[in-house]
Amino acid sequence: MSKKHNRSVTKALFKKEILDVIRDKKTLIMMIVVPVILYPLIFIVAMQAMVSISGSMEAHTYNIAVSGDQGDAFVKKLTDSESVDYSLNVTFYDSDFAYKEALSAEETDVFVSCETEDGKPLYRVYYLSSVTNSSYAADIVWEILGLLREDITREKIEAAGLDYEDIIEPISYEGVDTASGEQSMGSILGSILPFMLIVSLIMGTMYPAIDTTAGEKERGTLETILTLPVTNRQLIVSKFLTVAIIGIISALINLISMGGIGLYMYNLMGMTGQSGGVSLVKFVPSIIICVLAVLAFSLFISAMTMCITAFAKSFKEANNYITPFMLVVMFIGFIGFIPNVELNAQMAVIPVANICLLIKNIMLFKINYSIIALVLISNIAYAALAIMFLSKIYDSEAILFGDMKNGIQIFEKRSNIKKGGVPSTGDAWLLMAVTILLIIYAGGMISVKSVTAGTVTTQAIILLLPLCFAIYTKKDLKKTYSMKKTDALGYVGGIVLMAGAILIGLIVTAIISSIFPESAVSASAETEELMSMGFPVTLIIIAVMPAFCEELMFRGFIFSAMRNRYKISTAIIIVAAIFGIYHMSIVRFFTTGLLGAVLCYAVYKTGSILPAVIMHFLNNALSVIESYYPEQVGKVMPFLVEETVTVSDVLITALAGVVLFALGILILKHTGKKISLRD
Amino acid sequence: MIYAENLVKTFSKNEKKNKKRDINAVDGISLTVKSGEIVGILGPNGAGKTTLLRMLARLMKPTGGEVRIETGGKIIDSDLEIKRCIGYLSENTKLYRRLTTREHLSILGEVYGLTEKETEDKINEITEVLSMEDFIDNRIEKLSTGQTQRASIARCLIHSPLIYIFDEPTLGLDIISSSAIIEFMKNEKKKGKTVIYSTHYMEEAEYLCDRIIMINGGKIIKEGTPEELKKETGAGNMREVFYGLMAGKELLI
Repeated sequence: MSKKHNRSVTKALFKKEILDVIRDKKTLIMMIVVPVILYPLIFIVAMQAMVSISGSMEAHTYNIAVSGDQGDAFVKKLTDSESVDYSLNVTFYDSDFAYKEALSAEETDVFVSCETEDGKPLYRVYYLSSVTNSSYAADIVWEILGLLREDITREKIEAAGLDYEDIIEPISYEGVDTASGEQSMGSILGSILPFMLIVSLIMGTMYPAIDTTAGEKERGTLETILTLPVTNRQLIVSKFLTVAIIGIISALINLISMGGIGLYMYNLMGMTGQSGGVSLVKFVPSIIICVLAVLAFSLFISAMTMCITAFAKSFKEANNYITPFMLVVMFIGFIGFIPNVELNAQMAVIPVANICLLIKNIMLFKINYSIIALVLISNIAYAALAIMFLSKIYDSEAILFGDMKNGIQIFEKRSNIKKGGVPSTGDAWLLMAVTILLIIYAGGMISVKSVTAGTVTTQAIILLLPLCFAIYTKKDLKKTYSMKKTDALGYVGGIVLMAGAILIGLIVTAIISSIFPESAVSASAETEELMSMGFPVTLIIIAVMPAFCEELMFRGFIFSAMRNRYKISTAIIIVAAIFGIYHMSIVRFFTTGLLGAVLCYAVYKTGSILPAVIMHFLNNALSVIESYYPEQVGKVMPFLVEETVTVSDVLITALAGVVLFALGILILKHTGKKISLRD
Repeated sequence: MIYAENLVKTFSKNEKKNKKRDINAVDGISLTVKSGEIVGILGPNGAGKTTLLRMLARLMKPTGGEVRIETGGKIIDSDLEIKRCIGYLSENTKLYRRLTTREHLSILGEVYGLTEKETEDKINEITEVLSMEDFIDNRIEKLSTGQTQRASIARCLIHSPLIYIFDEPTLGLDIISSSAIIEFMKNEKKKGKTVIYSTHYMEEAEYLCDRIIMINGGKIIKEGTPEELKKETGAGNMREVFYGLMAGKELLI
């Protein structure tokens, strides 16, 4: 086939796809109605709501209840400083005033008890933080109390014959914002715009992606297309172009709509004299880069959504698959709101996050062309990879004609789920996504308060979530979790293999931390908190719990799902990669990935999860022992603690690692079989 | 002329307790269909008819065996070139509901590499043959079942294929629509085209086919002209031939 004809085939297919997609009402609504009508509508409603709220605030009269012997001075100050913004209604009560009831009945907005304690006036402000008026009233009281304190301080200082200003404010200071109007505006735009763009791009590409893949299967036109003399690549490229172009158009419509609202606001500010001399011309280069970023990202997101929806057989199923993906992408999109996340070379290759940070940076006029190029190229590269993957999928007849084993079962009615077997890969992927989100949210939030509680929560999530999944989908738990006994040789082989992997891991870590020196800093505060709990507790939290919980999830649930569908080597690589990613550190990715692979291998060869649990425990226990007893460990294994490493140390460690690794594999290969001497 | 040699298609089915079992949906079928010949593929549900036709049309890759087309002394064996020679129709080859018949045809003309002029002439010709003047510019979703089926046939005609492969083309159609399709096949045969088609309607096969291939369990169990089959089995019509053969098959098991 000539190149020219090749291109005209793709063009013809593209024409068909685009005609089909734009005649779909759902796509049009998502593409045009939402941005053009809904956004301004939301904006107007929000403006109205704000105006009416601030209006009601001004007119409000706050009921203030006062009791106690120090009340007079406070009330005097209160009435003196009454302003035009609000009015106050002060009532005196006895000290046995039932303030709780009055506050919750909203008869009183705030109650101030003014007692004398230890010879000093003590004001207690009772309010209900859940009630807006009560919070506002408390703020007012707060301010008045501050003024009161200032008055008394002044009186006392002057009574002592000193100069008030000199004592209280021996130095003075003030801040001067040197940000230009453009910079302030850019910082606002930079945090909101990326998120809005990402959401609108997903919304725009979602329907065409589903329509051209799962929708085509559901409507029965896929087989028609397959009768044509076209290659998979032509087919995929035409579909991809359609989805990407619809995505781009909808993103641009979104941009224009948002831009319109922005301009409207700008004019509004200009009228009230608050725009601070913003020159819109300065934003032109930013907007051009922004459009480029939108183009690159729409290629990426179209390819990704198509990869997901291609697995589905119907619109409904595709929707189920795409929703968790959307949530993950939107979650990453929040990165624009997080301060101090820098767009460096590492960040530039992380999908979604890189686009967010890029748009944020260019709105702040931080333009680094090599980073911009890296972001754009990485997005295009990911899209190309996804397209290659898709072309492969469309080759596979099982996906086109047959039933698939990788469906998501958790969305099925429970009565429709067949009993027994191991989880589907769809369930495994979904479980992974949900677990990681939960760990980041729940585990992470608790970790801020207490590392111990955070770690325990994370482990509990890892144990319980898959278990609930498995029980709900009526899986064979023994099989899913490889609950089987194995012979002593399995344990020996596993432990030897682990020892080898740990040594190799040391070398890998050393190499990687020399490439990324900044990431080698360990979280010492966390370690300290854990170590303050004592050795046995630390051992349980760091070694025993992860050994059980992580093994049951990764080598149990996920590994058995992957094994059931993929070749064993593919399954091990997938689980190892997931395990590496789960630890969320670039330095540790390769070592944890290696350990993950080794643990999978042990489960695969022995057919039992138990050696993996022991191996995992030993690995983690080693690091606990190392941090408690560095001297003793240093005596036995000097290479673990030594500051300076010689070349011979590295070589010996590497050699020992490789030998132990090979020996472990050899032993595991013979597990369950008798090793005859003749062999 | 289309040849198939020892075609095999293996599917792995999920059995109970998560065990996989390989099933040969088509198990070593060889056939040759000449130009100007109509061959009917008959067999019960699950016999492997659709899989066989899909492999002939290159929608599916065979696990084993080959498909080749010979035309004017040239042998064609690449997937895309075979597809170019075939007009394939089954109940699964639906049309795009939101597109009109004319849009379908002109886009397909482009895919098959026809010039604009060629496509336009062909569309006019097909419209006349299938009398589609009334609905050619309506969207597919607005058409009746019979009109949709005619539009589907039009889709198979745009590239003037040498070989038609129809999987149950008359299924679910009324007598007028199905007889139109039967007449169409007869006409194409007269033009020297090859027709391979599967059906459940025995009388239709007996009336139309030069040769009938009965398959079951992925294998050919009987092959011949309707007369030969009737003579051999001593049956009065194709329906009896079919019953006789299928019953015999069951006895063998």
